[in-house]
Amino acid sequence: MAAVTVGPPPARRRGRRRRLPAWHVLWIVVAVAYFLVPIVSLVQFSFGGVVNGHSAGFHWYGTVFADPNFRSSFWLSVQIAIETVVLSNLLLIPTTFWIHLRLPRLRPVMDFVSVLPFVVPPIVLIVGLIPFLRLFTFLYSRPEVLAFIYVVFALPFLYRSLDAGLRAINLRTLAEASANCGGSTWSTLVRVVLPNLRSAVIGGSFLTVAIAMGEFTISSLLSFNTFPVYLFNIGQTTGNEAAALSVISLLLTWALMVSLYLVGRGGRTTAQVAATR
Amino acid sequence: MARIELRGLRKQFGGGVVALDRLDLDVASGEFVSLLGPSGCGKTTALRIVAGFELPDEGEVLVDGADVLHLPASRRNMGMVFQSYSLFPNMSAKSNVEYPLRIRRQPRAERDRRARELLGLVGLAKQVDRYPHQLSGGQQQRVALARALAHEPGVLLLDEPLSALDAKVRVQLREEVRRIQLELGITTLYVTHDQEEALSISDRVAVMSEGRVEQVGTPAEVYARPRTAFVASFVGTVNRLEARVVSSVERTVRCGEVVLTVAADVFDHSDGSSVALYLRPEDVGLRPTLNGDGGGGGGGDNGLPGRVRSVTFLGPVTRVGVDCGLGALVADVSSETALGLSLDQPVSVVVDSARLRTLAAS
Ligand SMILES: Nc1ncnc2c1ncn2[C@@H]1O[C@H](COP(=O)(O)OP(=O)(O)OP(=O)(O)O)[C@@H](O)[C@H]1O
Ligand SMILES: [Mg+2]
Repeated sequence: MAAVTVGPPPARRRGRRRRLPAWHVLWIVVAVAYFLVPIVSLVQFSFGGVVNGHSAGFHWYGTVFADPNFRSSFWLSVQIAIETVVLSNLLLIPTTFWIHLRLPRLRPVMDFVSVLPFVVPPIVLIVGLIPFLRLFTFLYSRPEVLAFIYVVFALPFLYRSLDAGLRAINLRTLAEASANCGGSTWSTLVRVVLPNLRSAVIGGSFLTVAIAMGEFTISSLLSFNTFPVYLFNIGQTTGNEAAALSVISLLLTWALMVSLYLVGRGGRTTAQVAATR
Repeated sequence: MARIELRGLRKQFGGGVVALDRLDLDVASGEFVSLLGPSGCGKTTALRIVAGFELPDEGEVLVDGADVLHLPASRRNMGMVFQSYSLFPNMSAKSNVEYPLRIRRQPRAERDRRARELLGLVGLAKQVDRYPHQLSGGQQQRVALARALAHEPGVLLLDEPLSALDAKVRVQLREEVRRIQLELGITTLYVTHDQEEALSISDRVAVMSEGRVEQVGTPAEVYARPRTAFVASFVGTVNRLEARVVSSVERTVRCGEVVLTVAADVFDHSDGSSVALYLRPEDVGLRPTLNGDGGGGGGGDNGLPGRVRSVTFLGPVTRVGVDCGLGALVADVSSETALGLSLDQPVSVVVDSARLRTLAAS
C-alpha cells in the first residue's frame, strides 16, 4: 500500500523552480513579440505619413469617421452579426436541449454534422449554397441572406459550446424535477435550463459575432458592402487609412469582448453550476 | 390523501434486462411504505413508473382507483425527492420551493408565505436565500423535500434521498422525513436499500428481489416472520442451518446430531423433507460452562455444548461466533454477558425454539 515517491525531495524541487531558465524567457519574449509586433506596427502606421506638410497625427482616424461608407458598412455588419446570433441560437438551443434530453443516441451524429463546416472549404460551401438560395428570390438580393449562411459557419462553435454547457449540468434530473413540479418542457427549457446555460450561450454567441463580423469571402462574392469588404477596398487605395480602420475595428472587438465578459460575469458561471452537483 | 395500487407491473429494458417482473403493491392513503431491496432489484424503476418518467410494458398504476399511466409526469400531482441533488442551481432555496407554485401561477405573496413555511418545516428558516452550492448535502435534500411538498401533492415519492449523506445526518434526516410525513399525513413511497432505514421509519416494508415484491408487512412482521429465504437473509442478520424433518406431527427436526422441536406458528413440511432453519442472533443465548468440556451433558431446554470462535463488540451488544452441534452460529449477547467470554471458551448454547423459523430448503 505504501506509495513510492520518485524524484528529488520536495524542498529541492521548490528551490529549482524559483529561477526561470533562460530559454523559457526567450520563448515568452518570442511569443509576445509574435502577437505584439504586428499590432504595434499597425498602430504606428495609422499615425504615419505626411499631410499638408505636417505629420498626420489623428488625420487618418478623422478620415475614417468622416466616410459615410464606414458607418454604413460597419452598421450592416453589426446587423448581420445580430441576426446570425439570434438565428443560430433559436435554431440550436432547442435542438441541443432536445437531443441531450430525449435523443442522446443522435449526439454522435450532431458531433459529426457540427464539424462539417470545418471540413468543407467555405468556397465549396458557397458554390453549393448559391443555387439553393436563388430559389428564395426575395431573400437572395438582401444582405440578410448572409446571416442565413453564417449560421452554418457558426454551427460548430455554438453547438460545441452549448453541448459542453449541457454536459456540465445534470440535465436529466433537473428536467425530471421540473416535470415533477408540474413544469412543461417549455418552462423547463426557459426557467431551468437556459439560466444555467448562460455562459455557454454567451461564449458561443461571441464566437458567432466574431465570425459574422469578420467574414470576407462570401460577402464579397455576393457583392454586399460589409465591414470586411469595405476594409479591403480601403486597403487597396490608402494604406494609412486602412491601418487606422483596423485599429478602430480591433478596439471595437475588444470592447465587445469586455462587455460580453461583464454580462457573463453577472450570472453564475458553468463552473459554479457544476460544483453544486 | 391518495391511495396507490401497482398492478402486475412489468418492465424490460433494452438488452433484455427485466427490471420489474409482475410487481404488485398497495399503499393505503396516508401510509408510509418502503421499497427495500438490493441494488438493481428494480426499486428505482418502480418509483419512476409511478412518477411518470418511465412506462411499464405491462400492468397499471392506479391512484385513488384511477389509472394514471396516460398522464405525463407534470400532470400527476406527485412530489418527488431524487437520489442525486436535483435543486435548480440558478435559484435560491426559496425560489426552488416556489417553483411548483410559480408554474401554478399562484400570487407572489402566497408563494412567498408557503415557501417560507415549508422551509421552516424542514428546519431551514434561516437559509431561504442561499443558493444550492452554498448548502450542505443534507440541507439540499431538505430543500428538495420542501419543494416536493410545495404544491400539496397527493403522493410523496423518495428515491434513496439520504444515500449521499453521512451516517449521522442520514439517521437524523430520516426521522425528520417521518415526522413531516406524519404531520402532513401524505401517502409516501420510499425507496431504500438500507434495511435499518426501512424498518425504522415505515408503516410497512415491501421487500423486493429481482423485480418482484417478496413480502410486504410491518417492520416487525418482516423481521420476525420472513416468508422467503431471501427476506430472511436480506432483512437483518440471520443464522441459516440445514435440517431434516423427523416428525411433522411433533414438529421435530434433526440438525447435525441434534434434534430440535420447532414451536413456530406454521409447520407444513412432510416427514424426511429438508428444511432450512432461520434463527436471529439475538435469539441465541450463551452461558459460560465452568466445568470445561461437559461431553454429552447438553443440559435441558435445547442447551448445546459449544466453543467461542470470535467476539465482536458492537456497542450495546456483542456478537459472538460459536461452534456447536448445530454448526457455526452467531449470537448477540449483552456486552455485560460477553465480558465473561473469551476465545475458545466452552459455552452452553441455548436456542429459543419459539423463535425458530423453518422454510422449505430450496
Ligand atoms: N434506462 C435503463 N436502461 C437499461 N437498463 C436499465 C435502465 N434503468 C435501469 N436498468 C436496469 O434495470 C434494473 C433495475 O434497475 P433499478 O435502477 O430500478 O434498480 P434499483 O433497485 O433502483 O438499484 P439501486 O439500489 O442500485 O438504485 C437494473 O439491472 C438496471 O441495470
Ligand atoms: Mg435506484
